[in-house]
Amino acid sequence: MSAPAAVRTAITGVGLAVAGPDFDPVTALAVRGMRHKDRSSRFAVQVARRTLDDAGLLGAPELDGAAVVVSSNFGNLDAVCDSVTTIATGCSRDVSPMRVPHLSSAVSAAWIALDHGIRGPSLTLCNGASGGLDAVAAARNLIAAGRATAALVIGVEPDTPPVARLHRESAGTRWIDGAVGLVIEPVRHAVSRGARIRAEIAGYGRAADEQSAVRAAGATAIRRLDADPTARFGRCSGALGVVQCAMAVEQLEGEAVARQSARPVLAVAGAGAGESDGTSVSALVLTPPREPVHTSPQVPVHTPSQVPVHTPSQVPVRTPPRGPLHTPPPRGRDT
Amino acid sequence: MSWEITGMSAVCALGDTVAGIHGALCSGRSGLAPLSAFDGSKYRAGAAYEVRDRVRSGVDEPLRATRWLVRVVREALADAGLPEPEPGLPVLVGTTHREMRTTELWWQHDGPLSPTDLHFTAALHSALGLHNVHTVASACAASLYGLGMATDLIALGEADTVVVAGTDAIPESSFGGFDRIQFPPPDTVRAFDRSRRGMIMGEGAVAVVLRRAGTYPGRVHGLVRGVSMNCDASHPTAPDSAGIVRAIEDAHARAAVVPDDIDLVIVHGSGTAQSDLAEAVALKAVFKAADPGPLVTAIKGGMGHISGGAGLLNLVVALESIRSGALPGVSDLTDPIEEVKELRVVSGRPAAGPFGTAQVHAVGMGGINAVAIAEGATR
Repeated sequence: MSAPAAVRTAITGVGLAVAGPDFDPVTALAVRGMRHKDRSSRFAVQVARRTLDDAGLLGAPELDGAAVVVSSNFGNLDAVCDSVTTIATGCSRDVSPMRVPHLSSAVSAAWIALDHGIRGPSLTLCNGASGGLDAVAAARNLIAAGRATAALVIGVEPDTPPVARLHRESAGTRWIDGAVGLVIEPVRHAVSRGARIRAEIAGYGRAADEQSAVRAAGATAIRRLDADPTARFGRCSGALGVVQCAMAVEQLEGEAVARQSARPVLAVAGAGAGESDGTSVSALVLTPPREPVHTSPQVPVHTPSQVPVHTPSQVPVRTPPRGPLHTPPPRGRDT
Repeated sequence: MSWEITGMSAVCALGDTVAGIHGALCSGRSGLAPLSAFDGSKYRAGAAYEVRDRVRSGVDEPLRATRWLVRVVREALADAGLPEPEPGLPVLVGTTHREMRTTELWWQHDGPLSPTDLHFTAALHSALGLHNVHTVASACAASLYGLGMATDLIALGEADTVVVAGTDAIPESSFGGFDRIQFPPPDTVRAFDRSRRGMIMGEGAVAVVLRRAGTYPGRVHGLVRGVSMNCDASHPTAPDSAGIVRAIEDAHARAAVVPDDIDLVIVHGSGTAQSDLAEAVALKAVFKAADPGPLVTAIKGGMGHISGGAGLLNLVVALESIRSGALPGVSDLTDPIEEVKELRVVSGRPAAGPFGTAQVHAVGMGGINAVAIAEGATR
C-alpha cells in the first residue's frame, strides 16, 4: 500500500518525555492531575503538553478540530494484569473504580483529548513495531480526508512489571519508558499561522518485507535515518516510528545548521526491528522543509529554498534512483 | 461518494451468521447465560453473553478473539468472492481488549504470550496471507473507526477494497471492573428503560468487505454512505450528548443525507444510565424536526456488549433488517425514560419495513464516538 499525498502535511512540533536532562519522570509524572492516571497516560499527557507547546499550539482554538493518534502496544498491560491479580487474590469488589478506564487501550488518547479540548477523531493503534509510522500515516489520512485540522501523534510505552516480563521472555534486555510526540498539520495551515515547519511527510508504504515497504513508499533512493532509536532507548515498540520521526527532524535540523545539503530521510519499522513482534514493515519518508523557514532564536536555519531538493512526491515511484544509491546502515538489533 | 459492502460475517452469543443473529434478535432470543470459565464466586454478576466454543467447559483458552477474527475475515472474503485476497489488502481490526484475555492467562497462569499476540497481523498473515493489518483500539467505537478509515483509504485512492472487522473476547479484568462499578449488577440489558442497571459484556467478531462503488459486478449487501468519528473531550468516562450530536451531524453531512432520510437507527444502547440518556438526548435534538422520524432500536439485549465489534455488528444487523424488512425491538423495554417519549422506539415484536437508510452508533469509553450511515442494496 502506498499513499499519494492529497494534502501536503508537515511536522511542526516535536516533544519527548523520556528520562533525561530536561525530563525527570519522578517529578513530571507526579504533578497535579496525575494521581488517578496509569503510567502510560501520565507520559502521554506530559508529552502532549510539550509537543503542543513546541508547535506553538498550546491553548490554540484550532485544537477543537484536531485529532489525537496514539501508538502503543503495552500501554494498558499494567492495569489489566494488576486487576486480574486483584480479582484472583480477592474479588471484583477490590478493584479500584479509578482503575477501570485504564483497562482500555484507548485511555491515553482520551486523557489527552480531555486535557486540550481536542474533539476530532481519537485514534489508538496497536500495530506492533510498525505502529508509530502507521500512526503518522493515519494522522495524515485523517487530515487529507477532512476529519482533522491537525493531529497530535503520540508514541508511548511505559515500563511496568508485565511489560518488563514480556520483553525479558522475548529476549529483550532494554526498553523505552516514556513517550514521544509530533504535531502534524497541513503545510498551508502551518505557513499561514507562521509555524516553523520541521519536516514534510512524503511517501509511506507498508508491506510484508522491508524491501517492498521501501519500494511502496517510493523510497528506494532515499538515505536511511542516521540515528538508531534502539541504541538510544532500547526497544521502542509502538513508540518506535514516532521516535524515528523525532530523530529524523533532529538530523535534518542538524544538517541545516551545518549548512549541509537538505535531503530526504527514510524511516523503517516493523519486522526485523529485533522486537519479536513483526510480520509486516512500514516505511516513511520525511523531507526537509520546502517553504522558507522561520528562524528560531536558538537555531540558525539554512533556508532550503537555496538548495535544489528532489522529494519523493516529485519523483514517480518507478523512476531509477538519482545519484548514488545509499547502502542502508547495519540495523541495530536488540537481543 | 459511497462504498459497497460485498461480504459480511459475524459470530456472537446469538449465532454465527449475520442472518442467524438477526433472526434470533427478531424472535427475542437472548444469549445471556451463566459464566462458563470465570470463577463465579469472585463476582456479583453471574452471567455474560459468551461465545460457547471452549473445548472444555470451565477451562479457558488463549487467542479466542484472534480465532474468531480469522474466521469472520475468511468468511466475509469468501462471501465477497475473494477467497484468495491480494496480500496487501488493508484489514482494519477494531478491538477494545485485543488479546487481553490471553495476557491475563499468561500473567496469572503462565500461559503463552508473545508480543505478536497483542495485534492481529501475524495471525491474519499466517491464516490468509494478509500483512497490511491495522489494530485499531479506539475503545468500543473501534470497528466504526475502522470503517471510517476504510472509506478514507478508498476515497484517497490508496485501496479499492478494504476489510473492516471487530473482535473481542471478555477479559476477566474488564468483567471484574464493570462488576465493581455496576451495583446491583444488571440482570438484563434494558436500553432506554427507567429500571436499566447497566451493561453486560458480550464477545464475538464481525467483518465486512468494503469496495469502491461500481467496481464489483456481484451481489452487494448494502452501501456505506458516510462515517463520522470524534471525541467528546468532556469527561473521562461519561458520554456527552453534545459530542454524539456532532458525530451524527457530521455523518449526515458526509453521507449527504438529512434527518428525514433516516428510516431506522440502531443506537449503541449499552443500558447504562448515562450512555442511554446521552444518546436519547442527542437523537431528540437531531430529529426534532423530522416527521415522523426514524424507528429507533438497540440490540445489546441479544448478544451483550461485544466491545470493539459492537458498532460494526449494529451495521450488519441494520443491513439485514433493511433486506428482510424486519427491525428487531429493544429487549426488556417496558418503562421508557422521558427522553425517548417523542422517539419511535421499537419494543416487543419487530417493526415491519420497508426501510431504506440506516444510522448506527458506537459510543466508547473516553467519549469516543462514531456514527455510520448505510443504505440497503439495490442489487
